Amino acid sequence: MIVCVLLPRFELTVAAGDREELLRTATALAPEPGREQRVGEVSPAAEAFGIHAGTPLGEALARCPSLTLVPPDPAGVADRWERLLVRLESVGAAVEPERPGLACFAARGLLRLHGGSLERVLSVAHRALRQPARLGAGPSRFCALAAASRARVRRPEIVPGGKAEAAAYLAPQPIGLLRGRHETAALAEPLERLGIATLGELAALPRAAVADRFGAPGLFAHELARGCDGKLAPRQPPERLAEELELPEALSGVQLDRALQLLVDRLLARRERRGRTLRTVVLSAALVEGGTWRDRVPFREALADARRMRLALAQRLQLLPAPAERLSLAVERFGPPASDQRSLLDEAEAVRRSRLREAVRQARAAAGPDAALRVLAVEAQSRVPERRVVLTPFE
Amino acid sequence: MSRFDQRGPVRPAARAAGPAGAAGRTHRLAQPRRARVEADALDGHPRAIDGRVVDAVRESWLVEDRWWNGNPIRRRYWEVVTTCGRNLVVFHDLRAGGWFAQR
Repeated sequence: MIVCVLLPRFELTVAAGDREELLRTATALAPEPGREQRVGEVSPAAEAFGIHAGTPLGEALARCPSLTLVPPDPAGVADRWERLLVRLESVGAAVEPERPGLACFAARGLLRLHGGSLERVLSVAHRALRQPARLGAGPSRFCALAAASRARVRRPEIVPGGKAEAAAYLAPQPIGLLRGRHETAALAEPLERLGIATLGELAALPRAAVADRFGAPGLFAHELARGCDGKLAPRQPPERLAEELELPEALSGVQLDRALQLLVDRLLARRERRGRTLRTVVLSAALVEGGTWRDRVPFREALADARRMRLALAQRLQLLPAPAERLSLAVERFGPPASDQRSLLDEAEAVRRSRLREAVRQARAAAGPDAALRVLAVEAQSRVPERRVVLTPFE
Repeated sequence: MSRFDQRGPVRPAARAAGPAGAAGRTHRLAQPRRARVEADALDGHPRAIDGRVVDAVRESWLVEDRWWNGNPIRRRYWEVVTTCGRNLVVFHDLRAGGWFAQR
């Protein structure tokens, strides 16, 4: 049995902060600076105008000219969401966060720990969160999400049984539930336009027809509607290691680079690092105009060299949309204590080959196995042009 | 006199598949692709390729290959320059018919 924890409009609520009256009017999260101009989460009043998360900004303002835009607070959202996940993990849950405001965990391992009943597990999780949340439980993740969407804050919804019961429960649910999963979020609108209003109607469509029209995401949505879903992939609870710097005057340019240098040096000097390299860090800033900015930076290879880290991070810092009044740097993932061992002799060819191999590996990881190919002459002297060379995997 | 060749592909690429072509994701470069060619009735030289008028014929040659196996190749190649300045290579498949462009 899977438990789903849902905090609707989590990002909007965090960004609005103590201005709760905003949530009672037509409000939406403004697009992040430098990103695609689409609104983020919207209040119920804005939904009444037909605005959803992901609606283009121009269209949203055309539908509701009085729409209030709240600057996004990605750093605040990440902090608050991390605290909630840690609270869930503190009761023994192995949590898989789907997105800020939506997380799932398996109840099976917690039953004996918390009194032997699912209701008791839900109650413990609810208390651990220490804030209003909707909880649902079902045989699959998607079914649990559907249950959580219908649940009330003080009354969790449980769907007992297996796949057949999940499919029966999902059948009358609105097709808009597909927006809850990032793999199928884009399908909700076209399906609604085609007149498919419920998940049951989607499940009743021939699988081949769905595949032809919507491809892999369509097939996945079809599976979800029939009560199937993938396995949970709980996260490894991260170690928290961060450094923060209050900037007395809002900084940008060279001064900000100096601040970054200081942050990197402080982070590397922390005893908790225990000599390990850093694989991924998160750079965030509080902006002087309000709102925050956050960027996740995975290094090409695990680093412990302050100079190379600064080189990588300084480029990201140039994307800051406004001067910053606070800058912070946190470790998201550590690397091994020692990075790749260098060869004893500085053989230029070996170094070049090693770098090339790494570049090929990264290109393949990003764009698939055919991302790096090489031209191989098989019959260079052939009189038939198509027999002379082939494209073949790089190694 | 002119003619337009719209017949189905003869798949010269399939004939060309060799040991390397059988490997995993390996695929051949310079595969022929079907071209719409208006040819001269007398000597068969192309007069227009995919709607582009041929200005001059630079070279022509005959390729006869693989005659020792069951899939012989017999092609008349033409290297031409079109009025828009393109340098194109096309061939006429003399066995199965059809025109193809190839670089």
